[in-house]
Amino acid sequence: MKPPRSPRPWTIAALRLAACLGMAAAVIVAVPPPAAAQVAEPSGVEGLTVQGKGSVSARPSLAEIDLDVSAAAELTGDAIVKFRDAKKRVHDAFAALKLPDVAVEERGLLLDQKGAAFNPYMMDYGVQTKTKSEVQLSRKLVVKASGIQGMDEEAVLQLVGRLLDVAQDAGARVGPPANAAMMAYRYGNMQPTNLVRFVVEDYDKLKEEAYAKAAADARARAERLARLNGVKLGPVLSVREVSSDNATRYYYSGMMLSDAPTQEEDDGARDRLTTPKFQDVPIRVELQVRYAITPAEPKR
Amino acid sequence: MIWTRRLIALLVLAWAASTGLAQVADDAEGKDPDKVSNDDPGRPLQMPPAATEVKEALEDFERFRKRGAWERALKALYTIGDDQSLRFVDGADGFIVPVARKRREVLTALPPEGQSAYRLFYDAEARKLLDQAEGDAERANLERIYSSYFTTTVGAAAADRLGDLDFEQGRFDRAADCWLTILRDRPDSDLSPATIAVKAAVALSRAGRRSEFDQIRAEIEDRYRDEPTTLGGETATAPESLRRLVDAAAPVAPPSDGRGADASIGLAEAVAPDWQFRIADSIEAGMAPVELNQWRSNPLSSARPAAAIDGETLYVNYLGRLMALDLATGRLRWRTESFHNLEQIATQPAAQMLDPSRFALLARGERLWTVTRDLKDQNSMGPFQLECRRAEDGEVVWKMADLPEYAGYEPSGPPILADGVLYVPAKIQQNQPLPEQWVLAMRPEAGRPIWKTQVAVSRQSQQRYYYSGRREQTPQVRLMWNSGALYVDTHVGLLARLDADTGTLDWGYGYETAPLQTERYFYGNMPQDPQPAGEPPRERGDALVFKGAQSSRIYAIDPNRMTVAWRRPFGKAARVVGCDDRSIYLGGEELSALDAKTRTLSWATRLPGGSLEATVLIRPDGIWQATPRGVFELDPADGRVRRIFRGEDLGSEAADLVAAGDRLLTISNRAITAYPARSAPPQEDPPR
Repeated sequence: MKPPRSPRPWTIAALRLAACLGMAAAVIVAVPPPAAAQVAEPSGVEGLTVQGKGSVSARPSLAEIDLDVSAAAELTGDAIVKFRDAKKRVHDAFAALKLPDVAVEERGLLLDQKGAAFNPYMMDYGVQTKTKSEVQLSRKLVVKASGIQGMDEEAVLQLVGRLLDVAQDAGARVGPPANAAMMAYRYGNMQPTNLVRFVVEDYDKLKEEAYAKAAADARARAERLARLNGVKLGPVLSVREVSSDNATRYYYSGMMLSDAPTQEEDDGARDRLTTPKFQDVPIRVELQVRYAITPAEPKR
Repeated sequence: MIWTRRLIALLVLAWAASTGLAQVADDAEGKDPDKVSNDDPGRPLQMPPAATEVKEALEDFERFRKRGAWERALKALYTIGDDQSLRFVDGADGFIVPVARKRREVLTALPPEGQSAYRLFYDAEARKLLDQAEGDAERANLERIYSSYFTTTVGAAAADRLGDLDFEQGRFDRAADCWLTILRDRPDSDLSPATIAVKAAVALSRAGRRSEFDQIRAEIEDRYRDEPTTLGGETATAPESLRRLVDAAAPVAPPSDGRGADASIGLAEAVAPDWQFRIADSIEAGMAPVELNQWRSNPLSSARPAAAIDGETLYVNYLGRLMALDLATGRLRWRTESFHNLEQIATQPAAQMLDPSRFALLARGERLWTVTRDLKDQNSMGPFQLECRRAEDGEVVWKMADLPEYAGYEPSGPPILADGVLYVPAKIQQNQPLPEQWVLAMRPEAGRPIWKTQVAVSRQSQQRYYYSGRREQTPQVRLMWNSGALYVDTHVGLLARLDADTGTLDWGYGYETAPLQTERYFYGNMPQDPQPAGEPPRERGDALVFKGAQSSRIYAIDPNRMTVAWRRPFGKAARVVGCDDRSIYLGGEELSALDAKTRTLSWATRLPGGSLEATVLIRPDGIWQATPRGVFELDPADGRVRRIFRGEDLGSEAADLVAAGDRLLTISNRAITAYPARSAPPQEDPPR
């Protein structure tokens, strides 16, 4: 019986080299590409490039509360009665408040079945097919309290608290739909826990202002640089938007709630700014602008 | 070519066979849930079944009857031994009836020539039995004639005498049944139909069977208006006799506990409680946030105590810790054990598997009867115990476990006290492969048995749980006593009626139910629907309205006529919380009302926390339910929330609501709170 042959030194060296190269390749792959704002200008491009920043802030003008009204029954007729009563009670409860700036909007009606949901506790137990299915009707209602930008925090708190209490007393479910937690668990998403959404309504106008400010800022910077470097600022050659951030938005993954409309769909795909906090929301715009430059005329 | 044809033929055959099998399987799956048989192996419970020979004898009888072979038909019927007469076979419309009843039904349905033949063969035997019906043998012989020889010449006379005996002993239901059977099935008898009708009417009146009484009274007024009857030594026309006898026994008001349960309720928005007994605060005092989180996520922290009021005392059974509180002041009179250390016991797996709703309590006079379990017992299958205690200090008088008559029995639902008898639903699995469901009747003071009756045998083993946190979910058996009859709803597909005096099982009614999960491992087979509390049957007119905890249908049956008034699908997560003239009220994810006439859903109101458990107060002027957001008052007509009383127990889980005279008690997992019941005028709209 032969003893096991020891590897040769050159083989070890080759393996080490391969490992080092592999690690280097991994590091190169793992390192994220530079952000768009940091992309270096290709050499040979003429002109003067600056970044202009513009920022405006605004107070949310609208508070929104999502309510889930649903009813299930073995007989569809019963489900309709339950659903109709549940919806009516919510509408009646808010109407009884007699608040002119509070409105309840309805979103699309969802018909599905109760009792055929995934088992949330075990990955692959799947649907319990033996459970008798019941017809389930559900609809999202959105309670909207407008004109809150002029209110102080205490008043907003009182108003929102009242709306939440009325909704819960009327039997509505406040917050995301009943299966959202289960689906979030299933797909490893974070479930939003906030009950109220604050909305900056005139977002387009505010954004316009921020862009104007950013453009002006870029112009001012460019002029200063041109002056300091003895060149004359020419026309704008290119403009690139570096960032246009805003406050946290809600995103409902299409995979997460495939049968439920996304928040954007629900809200009519309007471009608007939402935030879970009642505070001044900053709207920031950053533009990268390249100007042509020409030599300054000699002083006579 | 020929092989190709053979192959095609084989494929066609295989397809046809598979289609046929699939059809059979589909039929089995989609069978009518209302066609229930006691012999269906898929049913969770089986009433004591008759032997196969009995079913064969009944089939033989039917076969020979069709041929007109009376001698052979009757001989087949009389091969059924007396020991089988109280075993059960399928009756009509989902009812499961004793063999004796079935035999009487088939005999009374015989055509005239069959009746003649029957009397020729069996009159002599029946006469002999009737002649010997004296002294100790009187009842036994009369019952034998009634069950086995009713259609003989002397059958009606025997039934009449049996009715008299039952009436004298206060068994009005049974007496009425005897006389009604004569009226309906033996119009040829020599007995005066007017007299029998009056007797039946009086018995029906005493038994509280109102619609049947009205029906027979109309018949007396119409058909026997001028017929003389002699009853109680007085002769008069049938209508006069009836008036005299019924008026003499004017309906007795049901016993009142003196607590003024009908006092009106109106809670003002800011009324302070008379007193509050805090449970959760006592347990949670001094807990670190981590401990508090652990305790509040433990199922036992959601347990609300069972409570009973007797006189000026409120008795409480909180997870086996018994207490007596002064109803006026909330002062603690005595307790058997403190509960501040419950959070330590609650962390043990056996405690987490407990169903806290199984702790029960009854109070009457100087005694308490409790259903408890030692929380420290680490046997997750450990039995609950029935104990009788002294009301003045909680000392144990007797325990069911100590009495040899009840060896192996364990309470399977809350006991009830009626007519001076303690009725206890119990299960036993001693030396048996499968558990049996029994009802025990005992003397409340000493626990001595009056009778024990086996209601059904389970076809499934007891629930077994493996690994942590799996709460027991076996529905509890619920009892209801009414006019000398004891109704037992097993909540797993069987409602049965017993004679409360003798324990004789009258009949069963099998209803649609979901199968019970008996074994669970890890997190498999988790129930997806919320499970409602099992409620006892509710009386509405002549009907009993009930719904099994695992059933998706609501049933109304006439227990005396043994007919199904109606059945209606509704969904599993619902319970019947009450009835009145207008509606049948259902608890579930919503509190809802079915129109009693049309059975359509009139309204449904979703209340915070739902209405799956806990007591709901239902009165003609309102419905009240305690929720985590306060006590909600609803209009019974349309379910509108009229008023919300926040109270001092917000954030608790479902709470029982108990009206006690001029107080309204909320009994939750966090506190027992007494409010003055009448502190606000009626109000139209809820305050916001």
